[in-house]
Amino acid sequence: MKKISSMLLIVVMLFLTACGGGSKGSSGSDDGPIKLGALFPLTGDLALLGEESYRGAELAVEEINANGGINGREVELVKGDAVDPDAAQAEANRLINQENIQSIVGSYSSGIAFAASEVAERNGALYWELGAVADNVTDREYQSILRTNPPASMFSVVHINFIKDVVAAELGKDLSDIKVAIAHEDSSYGTTIADEAEKLAEAEGINVVSIQPYSSTSNDLTSVILNIKKADPDVLIVVSYINDAILISRQMKELNVEVPVFIGSGGGHTMTDFADAVGENSEHILNVDFPQYEINKDATPGMEEFLAAYEEKFGSEPRSGHSLANYMGMKVVLEIIEEADGELDPEKLREVAMNYKVEKNTTATGWGVEFDEVSGQNKLSEPYITQWIDGELITVYPEEVAIEKPKITK
Amino acid sequence: MLLTQTIISGLMIGGIYALISMGLNLILGVVRIINFAHGEYLMIAMYASFLLYSTLGLDPYSSAIIVIILLFLIGLATQKLVIEPILDTPASTKIFVTLGLSIALQNLALMLFNANHRTVHTAYQSKLINIGGITMSLPNIVAFISAIVIAIALYFFLQKTMVGKAIRAVAMQRDAAYLVGINVKRIYILAFGIGTALVGLAGSMLMPIYSVYPTIGTTFVLIAFVVVVLGGMGSMFGAFYGGLFIGVVEALSGLLISPGLKEAIYFIIFILVLLVRPAGIFSRGKGSEEVGLE
Repeated sequence: MKKISSMLLIVVMLFLTACGGGSKGSSGSDDGPIKLGALFPLTGDLALLGEESYRGAELAVEEINANGGINGREVELVKGDAVDPDAAQAEANRLINQENIQSIVGSYSSGIAFAASEVAERNGALYWELGAVADNVTDREYQSILRTNPPASMFSVVHINFIKDVVAAELGKDLSDIKVAIAHEDSSYGTTIADEAEKLAEAEGINVVSIQPYSSTSNDLTSVILNIKKADPDVLIVVSYINDAILISRQMKELNVEVPVFIGSGGGHTMTDFADAVGENSEHILNVDFPQYEINKDATPGMEEFLAAYEEKFGSEPRSGHSLANYMGMKVVLEIIEEADGELDPEKLREVAMNYKVEKNTTATGWGVEFDEVSGQNKLSEPYITQWIDGELITVYPEEVAIEKPKITK
Repeated sequence: MLLTQTIISGLMIGGIYALISMGLNLILGVVRIINFAHGEYLMIAMYASFLLYSTLGLDPYSSAIIVIILLFLIGLATQKLVIEPILDTPASTKIFVTLGLSIALQNLALMLFNANHRTVHTAYQSKLINIGGITMSLPNIVAFISAIVIAIALYFFLQKTMVGKAIRAVAMQRDAAYLVGINVKRIYILAFGIGTALVGLAGSMLMPIYSVYPTIGTTFVLIAFVVVVLGGMGSMFGAFYGGLFIGVVEALSGLLISPGLKEAIYFIIFILVLLVRPAGIFSRGKGSEEVGLE
């Protein structure tokens, strides 16, 4: 049995690491179509939202092809299945060196974006990020990266702006009297948003009374919740994945802990699985995330067309906002290529992109476009705040895109 | 107050760990196989419970008996078809086989059910019991009580019944048991079946508390291994105490140190126990790791 014990130790360690593999997408090689690489996790753990993201990009490409393509040339997406960062590197290599592709779009997951863009940078290709949020993707200031979607730190900005613009007035309190607690999962995603929110809050003179990091694989978050109860905050910011989002809401109910304003962050709190799992407890939970579909359609022109095209192709409503964000991003990529007359040379394309500007509230997500010269980050994209109202995810902030006022009870 | 609530909540989640660990421990003690797919049996049990709820409208508690029988049969089949052929191979082969089984089952579930979180809705789910300001949820209490009942029932089964004695005999001395006429292979099959049946019960108890998704097993199985090592491999009550102990340690370190560090803390305990007292805290001391079931 002793032997078994030591074996056990080794294998438990081994078990803590994941494994994965890669598979190949389709390929073709004549000079006709404009070929772009598309790198998303299409199988494996991240498949659900990875595929949802890819659908958005696919729809944008189909739309332009139906309208005659770019300068009469058809656009073709060459798929790469990036299950994890390792596979992402291998697939990026294949797309660039074997398929001779000069522009790649991706990728839903920050780890994948980070690894794949590294390959693009080394090989002088251009990497367009349409969905991954980690700040470090653009913080490296590579010449090869352009990102259309907002980074994680923008989520924190929206959190704090919302507290400043809306919550303070609704609660009838001064900013300096408002107590904020933050609970976040402790991977780089949760930590980035929490750290940034703490900094911004302090700059505004808002009190951060408690910060609770936890592992998203926890089965029990009693201690997190009791620590929050002890801190007695006015606003609770939670950054989580779906599993822990469900657990926190359930255990808060179990332990009889209520906070006046509950603001989630990212995917967990916006998913229908979340609303289904926690039932009426989801009511009035606020959430900062990519644009969702119950939104002011005047500020998001093109969304109706997107929804119609999506339903026609896939036979259901979008499963999350990811497809929309990728659709918008892909359209930006295609328009920039169009402005460059179908020229795919990475340096020239980047130059055209830097001069490409779009006003806010004129795209399907409501985002504008203006890339930062140094980092390649789109400065005019931002997450919005939604709220569960009568079982529907309604956009409530900022005002231009909101269809209802946020419901905040004292 | 906060401290009492934390300890009580820790005990409640500890009951769940104990429930899952006892089955793992039985398989480890008797068949001497480290079943890395144990968490996936929990996942299967939860999906079974969910399907019975969504198709036939059966409450997870009333469908528990069906799930237990189903998991018992799956356990028998696993032992017969997967484990038996590799019984005489080196430990590393066994580990890779069960680890492979675990990955295969996870991906099978991902294929069949995709990555969505499925939830059961019952009236009692959000019922709270409040004693002097300390709150507990009803499904947690039910899970806790069933852990106690199972620990006691298993003890009597192993001590008093003929089959139970045969199981212990095989656990202690496989060859001697064989010589006195015990059908060792059949005992293995039975022990594996009982082990997975216990997970079936655990799955039914967990369904009102958690949502099910393909990788839910991994979040529990790692803790179950810690519990088994802590409680003493092969010791039924050890697994029970071990579960409660880890539950409380987890909750307290979350409250007093940091919720982000609680995993680190119980894994440090895990490593220390393996180094200092490999037979487990609650076992009879040195040498008893060779004895098998108590």
